[in-house]
Order: sequence, then C-alpha cells, then structure tokens
Amino acid sequence: MNRLLLYLSVLVFMLSAGCGQDTAQQADNTLTIAMIAKSSTNPVFLSARTGAEAAAKELAAQHDINIVIDWRTPPTEDGQVQAQRIAQAVNEGADVLLISCSDAAKVTGAINDAVDRGVPVMTFDSDAPDSKRFAFYGVDDIKTGQLVMEELAQAMDGKGQVAILAGNQNAPNLRKRVEGVMQTAEQHADISIVGTFYHIETPQDAAAEVVRVNNAYPEINGWAMVGGWALFTQTLLTDLDPSKMKVVSVDALPPELPYVEQGIVPVLWAQPTYLWGYESVRLIVDKVHLNKDIPVINPMELVRVSKENLGAWAMQLRDWGFTDVPEKYLQ
Amino acid sequence: MFRTLLNSQQAGLLFVILLIGTILSLSAGTHVDRVTGGIINNFLNSYTLMQTATDASFFVIMAVGATVVIISGGIDLSVGSIYALAGVMTAMLLRAVGPDSSFMTVVLAFGMCAGIGVLCGLLNGAMVVGLRVHPFIVTLGTMWIFRGIAFVSSSAESILVPPALTDVVKWSIGTDALYPMPFIIMLIITLMGALYLSRTVMGRHIFAIGGNVEASRYAGLRINRILIGVYVISGLTAGIAAFVGSSYYGSASCADATGYELYVIASAVVGGASLRGGRGSAINAMLGATLIVLIRQSIRTLHLDQNYEWIIIGCAIIMAVVLDQLNQHWTTRWLTKKA
Repeated sequence: MNRLLLYLSVLVFMLSAGCGQDTAQQADNTLTIAMIAKSSTNPVFLSARTGAEAAAKELAAQHDINIVIDWRTPPTEDGQVQAQRIAQAVNEGADVLLISCSDAAKVTGAINDAVDRGVPVMTFDSDAPDSKRFAFYGVDDIKTGQLVMEELAQAMDGKGQVAILAGNQNAPNLRKRVEGVMQTAEQHADISIVGTFYHIETPQDAAAEVVRVNNAYPEINGWAMVGGWALFTQTLLTDLDPSKMKVVSVDALPPELPYVEQGIVPVLWAQPTYLWGYESVRLIVDKVHLNKDIPVINPMELVRVSKENLGAWAMQLRDWGFTDVPEKYLQ
Repeated sequence: MFRTLLNSQQAGLLFVILLIGTILSLSAGTHVDRVTGGIINNFLNSYTLMQTATDASFFVIMAVGATVVIISGGIDLSVGSIYALAGVMTAMLLRAVGPDSSFMTVVLAFGMCAGIGVLCGLLNGAMVVGLRVHPFIVTLGTMWIFRGIAFVSSSAESILVPPALTDVVKWSIGTDALYPMPFIIMLIITLMGALYLSRTVMGRHIFAIGGNVEASRYAGLRINRILIGVYVISGLTAGIAAFVGSSYYGSASCADATGYELYVIASAVVGGASLRGGRGSAINAMLGATLIVLIRQSIRTLHLDQNYEWIIIGCAIIMAVVLDQLNQHWTTRWLTKKA
C-alpha cells in the first residue's frame, strides 16, 4: 500500500513541477507588500494592519494600481521566525517588505538578502538601522521615554519612587525608551528608579508583573510604562489607587481609556499605530511606484491623550477602524 | 531491501511530504523573478525549497538528539534553552576574545557551542540519574535555569557573532542567495544519528533500556551511564543547532529558540518515536520535522489565515500520530492474518 502511494505521489509531484510553470500569473500592475509586524496577538499591530489596508485601498484608486497587503506576522515575537518569513515572502514574489523588527540583529541578514534579490524593504515601529532598508517610520524612542518620564514627574509633583515597565528585553526600540526614561529621571533629584521590569508582551503578563512589583516594592508611587500592555486589562483599574499611584504610559488604545477617565493614568502618549501601516504604505508607494525620493528616517509624532481630549481621541480611534471604543467616550 | 524500504514507516512520511509538496506546487501560483525575468512557481523553486530545508534544519538537528532521549524512555524539555545558552555564551566569548583567524573563530565557536551543549546535557543526565527525579521535571527545571543564565549573562542583549561564522554557515551556491550549509549539516547529523542508533552497541542498548529497563538491568547494561549519555547527546545536538542558528542569523540572544522544545519533541513523535520508549529513528525525526515545517510553510504559501497556524499544526500532529498508530495496527493484523 505504502509503495503504491509513494510511486503515485512521486509521479504527481514531478508532474506538478511542470504544471506549475504553465499557470503563470500576470506580472500586472499589482504591488504586493508583505507586512511583518512583531506579533499578530498585539492589538497595536492589528491597527497598523488596518491602516495599511486603508492606505492600500485609497492609493490603489488614486494611482490605478492594485495594492495587496500580505500579512505575514508571526503569532508571537521571534526574530528568527521573522527572518524566515522575510525569506518566504521574497521567494513567493512579494514586491516590497514592511517590517517591525523584534530583534534587529536577527533580521538584518534576511533584510539584506531580500534587498540583494531586488526586493526593497522598509521598517516601521522598530528599526534595523544597520540593514539595507530604504526607510524607517516610527517614533524617536529616546524622546518618547523622556516624554513619559517628564509627564510622570509632573504628576508626582517631582518626587517619589518610580518603576519602569519595559516589555520584551530584546526589542531595541523599547530599550531606547527605557534609556529616555532614565535620562529624564536623572534630572529630577527627588525621583529615584526602583527598577526596570521586563515581561512577556501580553496584557495578562504585564498586569501580573505590575501587581508583583507593587507588592514587592510598596514604596513605589509611579509607573513609567514604555508600552501599554498592562493597561489593556481592566484589573489595574481596581488594583491601583489613583491617590497613591500615578502611571504614564505609551499607547492609547480603547481598553486604556478608562484609566485616563479614572485619573490613574493622567497622560497617555499615543503612538498613532494606525499610521504605522497607513504612512508606511504611502511612503512605499512614493518610493517604489512613483520613484520619488523619501527620507530614510520618517519620524512619527506622538499624541498627548488626557481627560481634556479623551472624547476627540476616542472618535479618532473609531474612525481608524477600532470597533471596541467604549460608547460613553464617543458622546 | 528496496521493497523493505518502501514498506517502511519512512515511506509513509515521505508520501505525506510529497503529497503536501504536490498540493503546494499546484496551488501556490507563480511570480516573475526580479533578476531573471522568468516565471517561477511560488513553492517549487530552489529558493523556497532551500529555505524550507533551512527552517527545518534547526529542528532536525535538535530532534535527532531528542529522539535518542525519547527512545531511552526519557524526555528533554531543555533543548531550546540549551540552544539559547550555547549561542549567547559563544557570542559573548567571541566578542571578548575575537580571534584574528577566521578558521580559529569557527573552530572556537563550534567547540564552545558543542561544549556548552555537552555540559548542559551532562548536568541533565546526572540529575535524572542521581536525583532519581522524572526527566520531565528535571529538564523542565533546567529549561528555566539555562535560559535564565543566558538572560542574566547577556543582559538580554542580542549579541552579534563575527562575520567569519556567517560566511561559513551562510556560504552560498554561486552568486545566488541559496545557502545549503544548514541543510548539509542537518543531513550529516541525521546520518550520524541513524548510524549511531542502528549500527552501534551503544545505540542498541538505548533501545533496550527504552523497551524494558528492568530487563536491561538484569542483562548487565550500565543503565546510569547510558542514560547520562543520551542527555549528553541531546545537549550536544542542541549546541550544534545553536552554532548553526546563531551563525546563520548573525546573532544570538537569550530569547532564541523559545518554544522550540515542543516542535522538536513533536518532530520525533510525528516521526514515530514512542514517548513510552523503545521506538524511534533519526531519519524519521528528520522527516517529522520536515513535515511540520512544510505545514507551516503551506499556511503561508496557500495564503491561509495565519491566525489558524497553531490550530492547523496541532491538528496535523495529532492526525499524524493517530494515522501512524492505525497503520501499525493494520500492519500487525495483516501480518497476523498472513501468518
């Protein structure tokens, strides 16, 4: 039985080698952008995907081309898997790659191979500066860390003990944000950093880390969060007392808005994550389709979200395709 | 002999691999190659096939060692962490001493990765034998310990390895971006594993222990020494995989190979290794790993929703093992009837 099946499959495989060549796809005016974010379970990258798809639709109509966003993001952060997916995308005919690097050192070789094979690469959110990528779009991470700490210092009246929630220790962009937080903290004589705490980048792991650290260091009265993971849960709404604890965080997605409303988080520094996708696709079309010169570094501006502009920000999120914006903020 | 080969379990796995390959070749579509201008199949092209083999090679190298452990009736959950520790320590050493000669760099890196793998395996084996604790628990503990050491010693930094290593492991055929070295190393390790298990006394002893440890003891086998040996082999293959992986990707970090232990064990089991011990094969482990990587590849090539990746791989692993069991059952019945 095995023998027959084996003969049969070898025969069909050999035939398929010939058949495959005949079903040639038209090399038409389709621009396929393989998008490889850090993790498909992180909502910020899902909003980036929404932005990329929206830009693809708009620009396709504008320039009379077909733009396809080929989503190839791994489920969990893994630089090695990202490198493999870069190679896969190139092998399968992607025209351009758009990537947020989980581990810049790991993917640099794969990016360079792609460019050598004629596939331009752009990075967003987390760069691979030593690679042959043609452009990067994202925030200035050191500045982001500085802004977080500056706001936190103000909220704490310039004194107290601060913990830093730092996410994945391998991500170069997060390490830079931590550096920015440290730099600004040093300028405040009455503020000290009790530690930098890394964790798996899931909301539950992040929230659990906050609770663990708070129990271990009862003197903490401020959290500088370089990413919003912990605030994607609702548990800290009851676990953190706004009269004793202040938090300033990067990101301002729908689940984080109640923290601003309740005063636990006076300020969120929002990365317009939708624009990671939207602006990157626009830059790619400018560079690859329209042959325009674009800058290598394209800075993304942060948006300051507080009680004052909570409603306006909520509406912006809804317009960007977020379906989980609480209705009360949209009134 | 050819007839025996075709009726073997390898033939069944090879059939499934070729079947998936056929489906992918027929369904993948084509694209225009940027360099040559020719039309090439999205799956059936040298780049994709080589890249699939490369992706599989890291799992296969580790799976050969894991299969040896599984045959002995044990399990090694720490292989991913040994991979990370060996890679990180080697990268740090090379950064600190940085030999001038490329040859010395490669020799030192390989020796360091293999040496750390052997040491970790020795520790695993010694604890399994000495503490008389189930290997699942021992290697679960060392899985965290080894990764923790890698984390603390590297400060979670991704450390670049010298270009000399990348030049060797990423040696290309001609000017093309085709890198066959991981595939070649994978074949060598698989062949060595197969010969070790089937053609050496030590290999036969491992099967004997996995089949019936008490009978082996009464037969005078040195159980403890053999058990320590199997964990050393598992550590060694994880160290070699770390050498190949960190050299290929150009860096090492403490997060490398996170979760790989499950893929490695799955590769061995899909390849027909019995978790009860006494059964398994290095070549089947290679085919098992190739099958898993091919399933992952097919999700991308067929443009299936990637959110279903884990579900598809999980179902495929269960199906592969159930089909293998049914195949064995039917074969046994058929042979009984024939007799």
